[in-house]
Amino acid sequence: MGDEAIFEQLKQSIVDQDEDAVLDAVNKALADGVDPKTIIDKGLLPGLNVIGEQFEAEDIFLPELMQAALAFQAAMGILEPKIKESGGEGPKKGKIVLGTVKGDLHSIGKNILKLLFETSGFEVWDLGIDVDLFKFVDKAKEVDADIIAMSALLTTTLVGQRDVIEALKDQGTRDKFKVIIGGGATTPEWAETIGADGWAGSAYEAVNLATKLVS
Amino acid sequence: MRFAELLTQAEVKRTHEASLEVLETVGILAHHAGAREVFKRHGCHVDEATGLVKFPADVVEKHVAMAPSSFTFRGRDPQYDRTIPGDGPIVVTGSSAPNVVDPVTRVERRATSTDIANIAYLINELPGFDIFSISTLADDAPAGQFSLSRFYPALKNCLKPVRSNTPNMDDLRQVVELGELIAGGKGAYAERPIINHHYCPMVSPLTMDVDSTEAVMWLTERGLPVYTTVVPNAGLTAPMTMMGCLVVGNAEFLAITAFQQMVREGTPVIYASLPTVADMRTGAYAPGAIETGILLAGQAQLARHYDVPSGGYIGLTNAHGNDAQSGYETGMNTVLGVSAGATLLNMGGLFSSLMAFDFAKAVVDNEIALMDKRVWRGLEFSEDNLALEQIAATGPGGSYMGSKHTKQRMKTTAVLPRLAARDMRAQWEDAGRPDINSRALAEARRILSRPNPAVWDAALDATIRDHFAGLVAGDATPLEALEA
Repeated sequence: MGDEAIFEQLKQSIVDQDEDAVLDAVNKALADGVDPKTIIDKGLLPGLNVIGEQFEAEDIFLPELMQAALAFQAAMGILEPKIKESGGEGPKKGKIVLGTVKGDLHSIGKNILKLLFETSGFEVWDLGIDVDLFKFVDKAKEVDADIIAMSALLTTTLVGQRDVIEALKDQGTRDKFKVIIGGGATTPEWAETIGADGWAGSAYEAVNLATKLVS
Repeated sequence: MRFAELLTQAEVKRTHEASLEVLETVGILAHHAGAREVFKRHGCHVDEATGLVKFPADVVEKHVAMAPSSFTFRGRDPQYDRTIPGDGPIVVTGSSAPNVVDPVTRVERRATSTDIANIAYLINELPGFDIFSISTLADDAPAGQFSLSRFYPALKNCLKPVRSNTPNMDDLRQVVELGELIAGGKGAYAERPIINHHYCPMVSPLTMDVDSTEAVMWLTERGLPVYTTVVPNAGLTAPMTMMGCLVVGNAEFLAITAFQQMVREGTPVIYASLPTVADMRTGAYAPGAIETGILLAGQAQLARHYDVPSGGYIGLTNAHGNDAQSGYETGMNTVLGVSAGATLLNMGGLFSSLMAFDFAKAVVDNEIALMDKRVWRGLEFSEDNLALEQIAATGPGGSYMGSKHTKQRMKTTAVLPRLAARDMRAQWEDAGRPDINSRALAEARRILSRPNPAVWDAALDATIRDHFAGLVAGDATPLEALEA
């Protein structure tokens, strides 16, 4: 099998959102001696690009986007250790500290976002739900994050997002991090009011936003 | 009225069994240690390491059977007390939106305590509404008075039952203290608790939170009125089938109801929910979608099986203005709910799936509410209403317009809307083609331009303001004055 055919198979298996086919294609490519980074760059990422275009055109729906992302992550489970072994690990797109604010236990949207962040090449520290403001601040400092991303679904817990930004200001570290917010209870006006660096109405938009902020 | 039924009795029974199976085999994740303790004490299997609670079917059935068949909301003026299902369907405003569409500039902005005072007064005056669930947050709340800045203007300006939630125990205690001051003491308040509490301790799927669980437990222990809403979202927090969504929501309702009965036997409950099917194209939340009405109709049947009142958030809209979408989403869903026997409609005044209150939307929803209540009255079958004598007296070719029989019934047989256009096109054009939004806003202005008779006396107000230093003013303001 020629390299071009292998890349096409990798790409198509992602487009088909077929995790088994993705893993088959990855294993076949490795057996053929294709370099893991090349598998990602020439096979899997072109597939994800097609998925992104299809999602934006509403040709595919969110569950299909997620399945493609999950299939990609499964492939990365094989490829990443090999890249590390060979010392060829490239820099990540950026570091993101992610969580749902204090008092709020809603995690599903945040988890979708985590998956999409990771799929698009970010390194993510997921602090989970009901996250105290200082946990956001401390973790961001500890890992030298580029972005703090906060979710809130309940209108009564929204203020937790403002609290984090205020705490950063109090500590004189507001400029060190980009802060982005989202979740059912948030609006672009709220983001502006509390002085966030950005707001996204969906996980997909949040990835574009984060990419813009770190580039 | 005979209710619309989507399920056969056998299907209702099977749905109930399926929900029991979920509670017994999958269980509920309970984050609150005190709640786990309650479950353990009453025969549930609790895994302290994971927080997972599993429910033997007989434990659930025994406790759910303890729930009474009615729930009462009390207002400052007892004439506005409402008990469901008997007084149903009762109509409640949507609640806790962070924003308001400014009634003057028509631009969306953060809501304040003055907005809450105005909304409270408006809801007090609109006959379609029975309960004021505090529609917005108050962005001007002083530190430490987040909830007080909502409940004080709401209670001050509305004689109807007021309902809302609190984010933490300090706020809850403060709000109950406010209720006791209004009632004239702890004893009087225990007799007539006029604050109606509402929480969503169940976080779908099958999880109980900490803060709301604590509040529900505290209120239930004290016999204060509190009910909960379950919020399954098919495709995200529940399976992508209507029945799967119903089962997850039903299991959650059974768990929280059993919990309340374990805390205090005989605690009144409502089977309230906000079931939705997520828009799978983007994952968008769609509480205005017709599937919410269908799910609530199924739930109403389950609630009758348990002999408890039911309803919930129905008639919300994803629309951002008073357009056709806003009207059909609120209208179609609530009619479906009412036809199926739901007696609590949490429907009024909000745009953008619970994000912003709009004065005009509340006035439109008042009319929809009056129509929903008319649906509930149905055909009013009786021998007298067959009107055979009138038919004979008027005869072929006659007119009923001039008869006494017509005159006696002309104001009660049909809803008389203030907003719906019933004139001819030429008249409408002469009037400048007013749309529903401008007609509704004019009606809101008309109502709010008068002094509010619902405001309590100065002595009580002084007592309250003395007790809570730095309280917001909490006074309704005519919309013209806001403009100036």
